[in-house]
Amino acid sequence: MELGGKPLLEAVDICRSYQLNGSVHQVLEGIRFTVRQGELTCVTGRSGCGKTTLLKILAGLTSPSSGRVLLEGSPVSGPGPDRCVVFQEYALFPWLTVEENIAFGLKIRRVEKASAKEAVERYLALMGLSRFKDYLPREISGGMKQRVALARVLILNPKILLMDEPFGALDAQTREDMQSLLLELWEELHHTILFVTHDANEALLLADRILIMGINPGRIVKEIRVDLPRPRAKEEREFLLMGQKLRAALRS
Amino acid sequence: MLSWILPAACLCAWFLVCHSGMVPGYLLPSPVEVGNACYLYIFGIPGDAPYSGRFWDDAAASLVRVGLGFAVAVVAGLPLGIASGRLPVVQRFLGLSINALRAVPGISWMPLAVVWFGIGLKTTVFLVGLAAFFPIFLNAAAGVQQVDPLLLQAGAMMGCGRFRSLFTILLPSAMPHLLTGLRLGLGISWAYLVLGELSGVPNGLGALIMDARMTGRIEIILVGIILIAIMGRLSDTVLKSFMKFCFKSARRML
Ligand SMILES: Nc1ncnc2c1ncn2[C@@H]1O[C@H](COP(=O)(O)OP(=O)(O)OP(=O)(O)O)[C@@H](O)[C@H]1O
Ligand SMILES: [Mg+2]
Repeated sequence: MELGGKPLLEAVDICRSYQLNGSVHQVLEGIRFTVRQGELTCVTGRSGCGKTTLLKILAGLTSPSSGRVLLEGSPVSGPGPDRCVVFQEYALFPWLTVEENIAFGLKIRRVEKASAKEAVERYLALMGLSRFKDYLPREISGGMKQRVALARVLILNPKILLMDEPFGALDAQTREDMQSLLLELWEELHHTILFVTHDANEALLLADRILIMGINPGRIVKEIRVDLPRPRAKEEREFLLMGQKLRAALRS
Repeated sequence: MLSWILPAACLCAWFLVCHSGMVPGYLLPSPVEVGNACYLYIFGIPGDAPYSGRFWDDAAASLVRVGLGFAVAVVAGLPLGIASGRLPVVQRFLGLSINALRAVPGISWMPLAVVWFGIGLKTTVFLVGLAAFFPIFLNAAAGVQQVDPLLLQAGAMMGCGRFRSLFTILLPSAMPHLLTGLRLGLGISWAYLVLGELSGVPNGLGALIMDARMTGRIEIILVGIILIAIMGRLSDTVLKSFMKFCFKSARRML
């Protein structure tokens, strides 16, 4: 995969602390990295190391205590459809059908009805959701919900897709299906993706590059480049070797 | 089906109590007597007998009073409730006063209302509006307060500004609470309607009950009670259907 794309998203010395019962809790410290155009970067680390916090800062949903986020060189100050998030908890609108959930962002943009409908249908088909378009979120499975959550942001054509353990709550089989769906989409649409996961195998399967976060305070302790050709198989020797390396890095 | 068992059982018990002579007729008239009175009250020719055919006038007068009072409560309660649920400043500004006022029983406003507004429409609308305001306000505030912040964040990242998200996310998300508040408010409106009409207005279902007490017509009192129950129930159904007709979120989240 081509890694020499131009810098798209830069995290510059991001720190974040929370005040809890009078004491200051440093969650993120000096986070600095660059995501390049078209790259699939995974961020991994233990539970509670601040992955969600980092993602929300990149999305502009939370502000850093210090440091800056640059998108194509200019600082971001708030949330916007150029940096879309797929949340750990889906966050679909329960009163909208699958179809309406996917159309939400286009409606906000006041995209003309006919072309919005066409786009929604294309993404429904792409995600294999056409049959379920009139269902409500509570009536579909977790895997389908996550596909809706993915479709509703892909349709907006974000410059970067921020995904927060999107498949964490799925069973192993559905999870593998979703991983290959994501890779297919990525190869087809050439999105830039920052993918948070605490699953080492998932990171190895997907990523061009893995950023490993340490805990207390959360910071990037190591960067691993994954040069394995795709599609990657979990049984291959090289994959297993990289897995050992990654898990060792995670443990330390 | 299940919901009709209790009313039917009550009716049977009522029959038995009356026909066994356990309770004299001047205290509790039999269902047949009440049924007849009700029929006359609704379908009788006006002027034939004291209460004959008065229903339509009374019902119209009461509906106008309930409708106006409830409308006042909605117009004041919903926006204030939403503002106080979302904006800490408004919450701090209103919270104490509203909770203090809420503790005052509605009936104690009546003498004051009669002095201010005289006997009639305005007093009733005031009492109804005041009473219905609190459930509407409190439920709206609680509803918008409990909206999952993640939904608002999801909206924001898809480009939905703060003002737009009020209508696209906040209100739909709070719809079950909003509707509960409205329904409680409408229910209490009927209760306070009777209170307002007890102040001596010439027409209305509450006035009918008061009037029947003066003339000693127990069966008419019962007719009034039953009709208020039916109209209250109907208005609740109408309110619910109206909300479901107008809002997707009301259709899909209840
Ligand atoms: N709003 C907040 N107020 C106070 N502390 C917070 C807040 N949000 C997060 N934290 C703290 O920041 C730390 C990191 O939380 P975060 O949710 O980012 O972890 P995470 O890496 O995403 O974990 P997981 O893998 O379990 O999702 C936690 O210790 C948490 O207590
Ligand atoms: Mg998290």
